[in-house]
Amino acid sequence: MQPTIHNLLRLPKLSYQKRLWLLLLPYLLGILLLVLIPAAISFSLAFFRYDALSPPVWVGTLNFILAYTDELFTLSVHNAVSLVILPVPLRVFGAFLLARLLLRNGRFLNWFRAAVYLPSIIPGAAYALAWLWILNPLFGPVNLLLKAVGLTAPNWFIDPLWARPSLILMSLWQIGEGFLVSLAALQDIPADLEDAAAMDGANSYQMLWHVTLPLLAPILLLLSFRDAVLTFQESFTSVLLTTGGGPYYTTYTLPLFIYEQGFDLLSFGTASAALWVMYLLTGLIVLFLYIIARQWQIGTTDETFVL
Amino acid sequence: MKHSSSRVIFALRLLVLVLFLLPVLWMITASLHPQGVPLSQKLHLLPQRVTLENYVRVWQLVPIGRYTFNSLIVVGTAVPLTIVTSSWAGFSMAQLPHAAQRRLVLLSLIVLMVPGIALWSTRFLIFKYLGWHDSYLALIAPAWMGTSPFYVLMFYRAFRRVPTAIYDAARLDGAGVLQSWGSVALPIARPTAIGVGLLSFIFYWGDFISPLLYLSSERQYTLPIALQLLQQLGRSDWPLLMAAAVMATAVPVILFLLAQPAFHKS
Repeated sequence: MQPTIHNLLRLPKLSYQKRLWLLLLPYLLGILLLVLIPAAISFSLAFFRYDALSPPVWVGTLNFILAYTDELFTLSVHNAVSLVILPVPLRVFGAFLLARLLLRNGRFLNWFRAAVYLPSIIPGAAYALAWLWILNPLFGPVNLLLKAVGLTAPNWFIDPLWARPSLILMSLWQIGEGFLVSLAALQDIPADLEDAAAMDGANSYQMLWHVTLPLLAPILLLLSFRDAVLTFQESFTSVLLTTGGGPYYTTYTLPLFIYEQGFDLLSFGTASAALWVMYLLTGLIVLFLYIIARQWQIGTTDETFVL
Repeated sequence: MKHSSSRVIFALRLLVLVLFLLPVLWMITASLHPQGVPLSQKLHLLPQRVTLENYVRVWQLVPIGRYTFNSLIVVGTAVPLTIVTSSWAGFSMAQLPHAAQRRLVLLSLIVLMVPGIALWSTRFLIFKYLGWHDSYLALIAPAWMGTSPFYVLMFYRAFRRVPTAIYDAARLDGAGVLQSWGSVALPIARPTAIGVGLLSFIFYWGDFISPLLYLSSERQYTLPIALQLLQQLGRSDWPLLMAAAVMATAVPVILFLLAQPAFHKS
């Protein structure tokens, strides 16, 4: 294409294979400098007192004790878990069902798919403001709709009982990634497999439950793990802009605790201790999902790695 | 029998379509509501009098032009950089020996599972040390590693589908690594490149956390932070807030609709 640039970058003494590694270098270096090293430091800071001003001081498990005795911390753990454990299966399974519904040919298929993806494109901050309006107790369209059909309209984000369900509800519209991955995975399933099942007299429900779902289990599991990690983190933007952790700390979650400890109080050690807890919890949640998924008795095949 | 079931499916699809369009529709209709007129307590499809004045008011209240410019700079550098670095990595991975491929895929999956929060404070410290703090560089930084291993895996998947004979033929013709990447592999993986470009555009355009953590001077703020500023200025001025939200959403949506045909192939 541009011979001059290619000539400039041509390193004549290297073999083709070594030059391939050279192309991989920005990625590997970036992972090391921007992900692996920062993550390692983050996790080890849990054992130090560190305020970014004076050098870190080893304090052993003090940060964990500090975090554990902080009432806000235990509350934030509880809130964060309840904001992950219910929506993640809902989101992943919902994305899968939508992908199944929009898999085969039909009129305007691409437009239907685009519509499902559309909410995922909205910037997080705009999305949070939009839902603050949609679920506005007095003027929001959802409550006007509920009142119009004669149902009681909750106060959503303002009500301590409804604040968490509101956050879960708004997260159900942003499932674009899971939808696309499920769609791609479903398209990879050979059609004759389902034809064979249909020949054996399986109805569409049996097909879904005994053929399609087990085949997709490894990918859905991977998606669940990623979704759990992402939800923990992405709930931050929506919580900060919709409820700010309130009312009465009912939506005060771990990311909010970590953010305040680190960036408001400059107590990076406590923030890191909380991080450990968060990561272990994510692991536990996924283990829980894995045990459920094991009932399909599907191992991780090579296909998972391709995705 | 078959005909009626396909009708049911079509009806279900229509229902899904409406359900997923609602948030955007409600954002737009609220943004058209005139200022000063009390909000209706009854459900209307559109406000009685439709106006665009809220979009003008956004410009008067905050330097939205400046913020949009900042967002455009970030996206304009980060997205091309992401496409180059992630396709380099994917291209390289697709041609390495199988054992190396497996290890690199595994590494990518592990990195995907690292929670972003784990990186907040240490990236902050690193950026401060490098002098990248409070500049575009801090916002663009992830682009050096292809932004997300997810994009690298997307390219890896696309490049692996290319028969090795094509790469070999290019090599026999004397093409170097960069040449076969740029003039052989990338054109074949065009849908994937468009997909990655779109996804990374959406990510950088909507990124709220990086500017919140790493920027301190108002001049550098990007659009998502402008939304937060507006919310703090007028908590219940819904038409104004929705106008700003629509403005921030419009750009990625238009791009998405333009890239639609290519996106579905990837």
